Amino acid sequence: MSEEQLLRFELNGGEASAWVQPDTTLLEALRTHTGATEVKNGCGEGVCGTCTVLLDGELVSSCTVLALQADARSVTTVRSLLPAGDGALHPLQEAFLRHGAAQCGFCTAGMLLTACQLGESTPAPTREEIRHAIAGNLCRCTGYTKIVDAIEEYLAQ
Amino acid sequence: MTTLTPERTQEAPFDVVGTHTVHADFVEKVKGTLAYADDWQLPGMLHGCVVRAQVPSARILSVDTSEAASVRGVHSIVLAAEVPHNVIQEQVSGLGAGVSMPVLAAERIRYAGEPVAIVAADTPAAAAEAADRVFVEYDELPAVFEPRRALEPGAPLVHESGNLLVDWRFEKGDVEGALAASTHIVEGTYSTQRVDHAYLEPEAGIGWIDANGVLTLRVATQVIEHDRQLAEILGLPRNKVRVSGTFAGGGFGGKEDMTVEPYLALLVWKTGRPVRMVWTRQESLLARQKRHPFRMHYRTGITADGRILAQEIDIVGDAGAYPLLSERVLFAGGVTACGPYDVANARVRSRAVFTNNVPTSAFRGFGAMQVTFAYESQIERVAEAVGKPPVEIRRLNFVQQGDTLPTHEELDTHVGVGETLDAVLTALGPHPGATEQGKRIGRGIACNIQPYGRARFFADRASCWVGVEHDGAVTIRTGAPDPGAGQAASLAQIAAEVFGVSADRVSVHIADSALTPLAGGTYATRQLYMSGNATLLASRELRDDLTAVAADLLGTSRAVVFRGGRVFAEGDGDAGLTLGEVARAAEAQGVMPHRLSTFHAEGGSFDVATATGKTFPDFTYGTHAAEVEVDEETGQIRLLRYVACHDVGRAIDPVRVEGQIQGGAVQGIGYALSEEVEVEEGLTASSLFAEYLIPAATDVPDIEAIALEIGAGKGPFGARGIGEPPIGPAPAAVANAVAEATGVRLTELPFTPARVLAALRARAAPGS
Amino acid sequence: MRYVRASSFEEAAGLLAELGEDARAIAGGQSLVPMMNLRLARPAVLVDLSGAGEPSFERGGGGVVIGALTRHCDLERSAVIAEECPILAEAARFIGNVRVRNRGTIGGSLAHADPAGELPCVAVALGASIRTVSPRGVRALPAGEFFQTYFTTALEPDEVVTHVEVPALPPHTGSSFQELARRVGDFAVSAVAAVITLAGDHCRDARLVACAVAQRPLELTAAEGVLRGAKPEDVLDEIESRAGAAVSPNGYKAAVTGVLARRAVVEAVDRARAR
Repeated sequence: MSEEQLLRFELNGGEASAWVQPDTTLLEALRTHTGATEVKNGCGEGVCGTCTVLLDGELVSSCTVLALQADARSVTTVRSLLPAGDGALHPLQEAFLRHGAAQCGFCTAGMLLTACQLGESTPAPTREEIRHAIAGNLCRCTGYTKIVDAIEEYLAQ
Repeated sequence: MTTLTPERTQEAPFDVVGTHTVHADFVEKVKGTLAYADDWQLPGMLHGCVVRAQVPSARILSVDTSEAASVRGVHSIVLAAEVPHNVIQEQVSGLGAGVSMPVLAAERIRYAGEPVAIVAADTPAAAAEAADRVFVEYDELPAVFEPRRALEPGAPLVHESGNLLVDWRFEKGDVEGALAASTHIVEGTYSTQRVDHAYLEPEAGIGWIDANGVLTLRVATQVIEHDRQLAEILGLPRNKVRVSGTFAGGGFGGKEDMTVEPYLALLVWKTGRPVRMVWTRQESLLARQKRHPFRMHYRTGITADGRILAQEIDIVGDAGAYPLLSERVLFAGGVTACGPYDVANARVRSRAVFTNNVPTSAFRGFGAMQVTFAYESQIERVAEAVGKPPVEIRRLNFVQQGDTLPTHEELDTHVGVGETLDAVLTALGPHPGATEQGKRIGRGIACNIQPYGRARFFADRASCWVGVEHDGAVTIRTGAPDPGAGQAASLAQIAAEVFGVSADRVSVHIADSALTPLAGGTYATRQLYMSGNATLLASRELRDDLTAVAADLLGTSRAVVFRGGRVFAEGDGDAGLTLGEVARAAEAQGVMPHRLSTFHAEGGSFDVATATGKTFPDFTYGTHAAEVEVDEETGQIRLLRYVACHDVGRAIDPVRVEGQIQGGAVQGIGYALSEEVEVEEGLTASSLFAEYLIPAATDVPDIEAIALEIGAGKGPFGARGIGEPPIGPAPAAVANAVAEATGVRLTELPFTPARVLAALRARAAPGS
Repeated sequence: MRYVRASSFEEAAGLLAELGEDARAIAGGQSLVPMMNLRLARPAVLVDLSGAGEPSFERGGGGVVIGALTRHCDLERSAVIAEECPILAEAARFIGNVRVRNRGTIGGSLAHADPAGELPCVAVALGASIRTVSPRGVRALPAGEFFQTYFTTALEPDEVVTHVEVPALPPHTGSSFQELARRVGDFAVSAVAAVITLAGDHCRDARLVACAVAQRPLELTAAEGVLRGAKPEDVLDEIESRAGAAVSPNGYKAAVTGVLARRAVVEAVDRARAR
């Protein structure tokens, strides 16, 4: 029988905790124990990108990180893009809506986080650079063109 | 049949239709707050999983659940004998296949992955643990995995009734005579592979029994009308089962047949507890229905100047172990097998054959997609045979409004394929020419015809409820599911246009078999046509009711205008009433400010025996072009440019229409270059998503999408369906580009680097 | 299942010794956790050594000593690597997607010994030494001997990788890593690492190593033999054919390996000339 351990971490700037098994992934801990269902489960292999979060500010596949490996660290999901309370959207989210860059939306949270990180490292990226940055975020609906359009517009500022 | 006059003749620009709107679900998607099928937890929820057969063909001797039952946290294990009515009837075909599929295999396994048992447990891990400990004893039986082998006498029988599921034979004109009169006969054999829908959201749902004793499922699905099948399976009255469809994370036909529904429902029914079921990606790749591999042989008789006189076509599709929608897929393939070309003499034979492979069923394109690869490769071979440019040969043969298909039915709307070809050629501009050493550039085009709407003999219908609230907000209730292509958003735009409000004033409730009027499933590129028209009908009828009330209130005999949220007599500008005031006044008079209407598609009869009559209500035409660079040392194909054009009749939301064209094109590119579910002796070689190669952002260029609005279709405001059409042309466009670049014609999908390199090496020496 | 954290490599090795066969070490988890998700790996104990050290690059003895917990993204960004052995960064760029590279470690990659792994291939091409610790002490294994077969190294069950030592590369040495994968980030169909030292016009030394074509990194010795002492431009065709011939069966992978070997040599030689 597995022994549960207490996981404590920072989630989107606030405190979070959960009792988890050794083999509980960060993805499961987020979705099941802290209600962070904006992080999706798409493949369990770290390939699709729908489970993308920031761990101490770096992009990771939360399905490949053990929950306990996030202990005392900070986790950021797409919800952090929204300023608290006032209902306004982040300019990148606005760009996605304007360009029709979300269809079914399942890849969107991961795409948004990845695009934000790209912005941190590469101001005004070319379309090619954008495609390379999101190469690990699979989308089945849009064909990517409008996602690149939205990210390009947002990061051109 | 309901007649709707399309408002194409309306000269004034539309206010809402034709613009890009942002509906509520898209806002939730970018915020991350949209709750998908796996995003709910209910107190006391159990987790379910499916136990699947590991062998492709066997008799089940015994199923031992004793070890599984003793796994800590297990609540229930259900086997075939406990299922009240252990049959999934394929109700769509109407052909009475005589072959049904069990919910849980009882005595016989027909494919590896076939469900044998289901388990409910406290945690997903416990359920998986228990599933691993259900031991099935098999007596393996002979199996067959290749359709041609399955058709041979003496082949192992997948079903007692034989391995041939359906044998469609379309015949028109005098094929023998025309072939005899042909100057050339061009032959070609083409084959397509097994592919997976690979939507990003896995199959998922949650079920519970509500306060009324109604077994309720909240699932990602393209069809809520499966509630009827579920009721039959469980032996429940039909009003005791409810299916609520979530905004799904992609469907593409993979959520058209039931996925988790029957297994989830059984566990809820058995345990009385809420149950959650989510399939793993690997399970989905291994065991869920795929696209039909097709093998197609074409004999095309032509004149000396390239006019097609006759087509003799043979199509064989691998139906896998159970029918599902195979009869329909091979039907659609047969109907469209000649492509957008006028063929006076045609014989098309289209067969679905059982094998012990995973069953195949609906996938965007639905048979009409596979044949596009064949007919658009074939037309280039025709051009080669007469030494003329392929574009010219296409134009020479294009079908036009008034011409007939192999089914003898007349195409009764504008055929815009020529215009889409023109638009693509214009967009392409001059050929880039050669490139660096070792890499060749080529361009290829492909045109297609794809039906939209269900076959007419189904007498398709969709209902819609539209209401105006006392504050002027508009509510729509529709059974239409929304797997991500803006189905709800489009209906909001249509109602907004009719009532003269902005689209964000319209709220849409979708996909609930208990609470929304049934609209039929989201498949067959039918939803805009059917629900769009139903929404338009209900909105107009309601507006007519409100118009009478308003005219009376305003004391006017002039026309009444609905615009900007207000209702006023024509010419009165800002005067008049608010929409809400009119609704309130109407209700006060007993004229209820809501309407439930049903749109009936054009019917038509089809004689199965002669394969003649009316098939699909209408078609969407398109042309794509691919510009490729082939690395002759490694066989890799790189797409430099891709242009895709369709005549959409009317774009309700131009941005979303472009999105459909681009998304479909990229799925087609994946089909052309890299996707394949490889199966060996009925066993899937790899269930890893890492090894199922859907295009990533670095695999495709920008898709230059062009939506023409030139030929009014039968949808609302003259729209044509655009969901399926864009997936078809890519494989042929790429094959034709590779042929131009290298002289090599690829006839087998996908065009893996290994295949391309082998073909390049087998190419005749230059000069010969 | 149990989860324990090791605060040093020594402690990790000690724990592995104590807990036996069913204990697995985990660092970045990019190989192990997916296998656990797929229920293919069910270790009884997870020994997390991701806190046992930091990403590090130390110049010493003329080469670079890289800490085992150095992540692929650290290799990509490191100025030291860019100067001393840029082929490591070049190869790291091919590993999976950005998220994998933010977690995966060089120690983990080498210990995992995936036949398609880029870093094992480059380690062999660079003639690197793999330093380890176990309850019996420390040792340094030449990369060429470290990788035995599929997912199997010379590591004992209670031994962990602590550092990778890359020797100094001689002057006029250029390197190149060429990979062919179906999509960006996918496992290699074939890849070739070339490390070439010139003496004037001619090749004085050459290491050509392929991955994803055999059970472990494959040293293309016949192709190396052709190159040593020759003017590279004169022997490109032979390099291609011998490199391809080293791969069996003689199918697509073999053909591609030949092409990649040739491209790697061309690029490595250009870079050697530039140094």
